[in-house]
Order: sequence, then structure tokens, then C-alpha cells
Amino acid sequence: MKQSERKKKSLYIKENPERCTPDAKRPSSEAPLEGGVPPAERSSKPAHLEGSIPIYPLNCIYFYLTEGCNLCCRHCWIQPKFQNGERVYPSLEVDLFKSIIDQAKALGLGSVKLTGGEPLLHPQIGELLDHIEEEGLRLTIETNGVLCTPALARKIASCASPFVSVSIDGADAETHEWVRGVAGSFRQAVDGVRNLVEAGIHPQIIMTVMRRNREQIEDVVRLAEGLRADSVKFNIVQPTARGEKMHETGETLTIEELVDIGRWVENELSATTPLRLHYSHPIAFRPMSRMFGEKGDGCGVCGILGILGVLGNGSYALCGIGETIPELVFGHAAHDRLADIWENNAILKELREGLPHRFEGICGDCVMRGICLGSCVAQNYYSSGNLWAGYWFCEAAKKEGLFPGTRLEGGRRMKRVEARPSL
Amino acid sequence: MDMKDRPVANPLIVLREEFDDWAILFDPDTGNAFGLNPTGVFVWKLLDGDHSIDDISAELRESAEAVPEEVKDHLHEFVRSLEKQGLVGFEVAG
Repeated sequence: MKQSERKKKSLYIKENPERCTPDAKRPSSEAPLEGGVPPAERSSKPAHLEGSIPIYPLNCIYFYLTEGCNLCCRHCWIQPKFQNGERVYPSLEVDLFKSIIDQAKALGLGSVKLTGGEPLLHPQIGELLDHIEEEGLRLTIETNGVLCTPALARKIASCASPFVSVSIDGADAETHEWVRGVAGSFRQAVDGVRNLVEAGIHPQIIMTVMRRNREQIEDVVRLAEGLRADSVKFNIVQPTARGEKMHETGETLTIEELVDIGRWVENELSATTPLRLHYSHPIAFRPMSRMFGEKGDGCGVCGILGILGVLGNGSYALCGIGETIPELVFGHAAHDRLADIWENNAILKELREGLPHRFEGICGDCVMRGICLGSCVAQNYYSSGNLWAGYWFCEAAKKEGLFPGTRLEGGRRMKRVEARPSL
Repeated sequence: MDMKDRPVANPLIVLREEFDDWAILFDPDTGNAFGLNPTGVFVWKLLDGDHSIDDISAELRESAEAVPEEVKDHLHEFVRSLEKQGLVGFEVAG
């Protein structure tokens, strides 16, 4: 241990389970002991919730607002229909949206995420944002930025604690539009970011890393700096829907390349920028200091136990995976009570009862499983038909000898502290 | 001797030290994992039932620069938090 590091440390345990949510922000201070709070204890009682509280509050709903999208990204895991102006595909009805929120608040709802498709493509997006503001819900938006006008940016800014991420997959138009499939979308996305910044929102830039754009990672960080973004998140192409095809055709990176890039981003590139950088490899690959140190950004665990997806057609689903896996659709907002689904759906109950101890494969042997929760059970199910299967990234890394040995439970006896029989 | 002042690390807890001087505490029974920063690792290794909080404080002052005045309060708080998580116990005088 370096003395210069040690002298700065506080010795408090920071019991801050909020750090382990999808919307986790930078931790407020260092602490020697972090994380690992059992899932049932992760949620606090929302201010507006009166009376009894279920063990698993419905913290957040992910609204996949539109069945169409104005871009056709080659890696998209949702695979929406391309809506180029000639044809309009269905969007979530406003009355259903309001009814869902009304029911969800009684179950603990504190925040919503608007995604897609493309959320800003929704024909009544302004009315939806007004309702979110009126209800005082925290707002997250995932957008391609193309339709983010100055007026819409200001409306988003009027909501409670808005967090917006804009996808930019290259530092130049040629690369970005190769990924996104639509000419002109790079300039429009950049303008969308500028409009957000002008409205007072410094968005997160999301870049999905693949073979075609891997050399532009640093350039995207510089672009984000110039645009006054808040942070940059690097996503990995998931082998789902269109992303699965990219994996099959070799347009994605090898596991060795992905692990190497992760180390470089976290240990070197992040030191060159004031922006927070987040590389979306599983928690097992993240240094503790990067999660909980002075510039740490939390552990970013999937909030699967506190979220529910609503698809553009009004269906309830585990998340957007319901677009491609019918058995992960749980019902429909037009004829099912949300409380019935949230409290009684067999898959949700199975997850609550089984996480994290039922994991198999690499996840069953990982010491981070209680925080990571399999990284993405929806992806795991898509790949194997088994909710408890190991995460593909970690399985591939283990096969190549790249999985961090300190994160495997198997070798625990090697460094166990000395036993005290009277304890 | 006040046994309550000499905490003992739960022997079932696994300590995994990593390249950046941080470490993971892992409870195999519950599946819970916790991160320890370098100072936490230093302290954890002294939770052996022989060292009191005063002893640990002295060792810390010896090994680190600019240790704050209130370090003993921090240590007590740290150990209380560990105890609350089931990571630390105390010898019972027999």
C-alpha cells in the first residue's frame, strides 16, 4: 500500500446501496467497505408511498415507447422497425402510459426510463414529459439525439433530475453513420447534444465499441469533451437480435480485445480526461478502486429486481427483451393489473427467490455475483433459454484464461484470514 | 482485558487482495461481496483478536502519514459496520 494513498482514507463503511443501481452516479467519498447489500435491502421507501411496502418495490419502469426507430443501427438488441417518414409504427398510448404510472406509484415507483425504439419519436413525447414532471418522477432518457430540438431539450430539463444519454458511435460522420445506418444522423446527434447542453443538461455519450470504430474511442472522448458532455459510456455489442448477427460475422471484437480495451479505458484513458468514463464490462473485470475510489462511478448493477419493462404495444415484459423473447412478456396494460403482474408473475418470483444463489456456470463461481446479478439475465436467457446461465462475456473470458482469478470463489481458501475457533 | 475492544475477523470471510491495493471481502455463505480500500485492508489484517483499536490506531500512525486526529473514532465506526455485516466478531472471555 502506498502511504500517500493510505493517509487520505476514511474508515467508514458507506452503506449506500443507491450506488448499486443502474442510474448510479459518482460516489460521494471513499470508504474502505462497500457494496454487497442483499437485494431485498436495496430499496428505500419512496416519499410518496404510504402504508405497507412490498419487499421488492417497483423502483423504475423502462418504457420502450415506440415500435419504430428513425435509425437502423446494426448492433441494436431491440431490433425495432425502421421508421423513415413514409410509414409510422405504433407507439405506447398516452392513456396507458398514465395508467401504468398511476398504478406503479402505489408499488413504489420513483423513476422512469424512456427508451425505444427511439423515445423522442413518440408523437406525444411532450405530453409524456409533462406527466413525468407533474408526477415528480426522476427521468432517464436513452436517445439517438436526432430529434432533440431546443424546445424538447428545455422540456426534458424541466423534469426532476433528468439524466440523458445520447448514442454517438464514432468521432466522424462516416463511422457513426456506418453503425447507425442513416445519412446525416451524426450531425443531428451532435446538434441534439448541443441543444441539451444549452438547456442545462450535460448528457452522457454512449459509444458501442466494435471492430469498425475501436480506433476512435479516444477521439469520441475528445468529441464529448468539446461538446461539454458529462461522461462517456462504452457499451459492448450484446449477442442479441442484430448484435447477434454482428458476433456471427466477426464485426465485433474478440474477448481478448474487449478485456484489453477495458483495462486501457479504466487505467489509462480515464486519466487523460476530466470526464467520467464507464466501460460496460461486467463488474468482475472492474477494479475496486474504479468503482469506489475517488473518481469511482459505482458498480452499475442491473436493477432487475426493481424494474419492469413496458413495450411500445403496451405489454409488460422483463425489459426490452420481450421484443424478441415472447415468454418474457408478462401481460398487457390494457387488461392486466400492474400489481398482479409485479407481485405474482412466475418469472419475477423465480428471479426474486433465485438471485444470486441459483447462478450456474461462471456466474455461480464469481464472488461478485451478489452485486452483478449475472450482468444481464435477459441476455443470458436469450443466449441459453436459462435464466441462471452464466454471462457470455465472462464465460468467454474464463475459457480464454482472462477472467480475474481474485474474483473466482473457487480459490478462496488460498487467502482466507486466520481462523479463530472461538468466534 | 476488554475483549470488546479486540475485534476478530470472521474466519469464514474470504479476503482477496488485488493489483490496485484494494481488496474484496467475500462471504461464501451469503454471496455478499464488499470492497476494501487500502486502508481497510491494512486494518482488516489486524483484526486478529490480539490487537485493540488503540493498537491498530498506533500501527496505522506508524505506517501512514497524516493520520487524522479522529482515527480512533473512524476505527470504531469501521469495526461497528463490519460487525453489523457479520464480518467481524469478538472473543468471549472464558
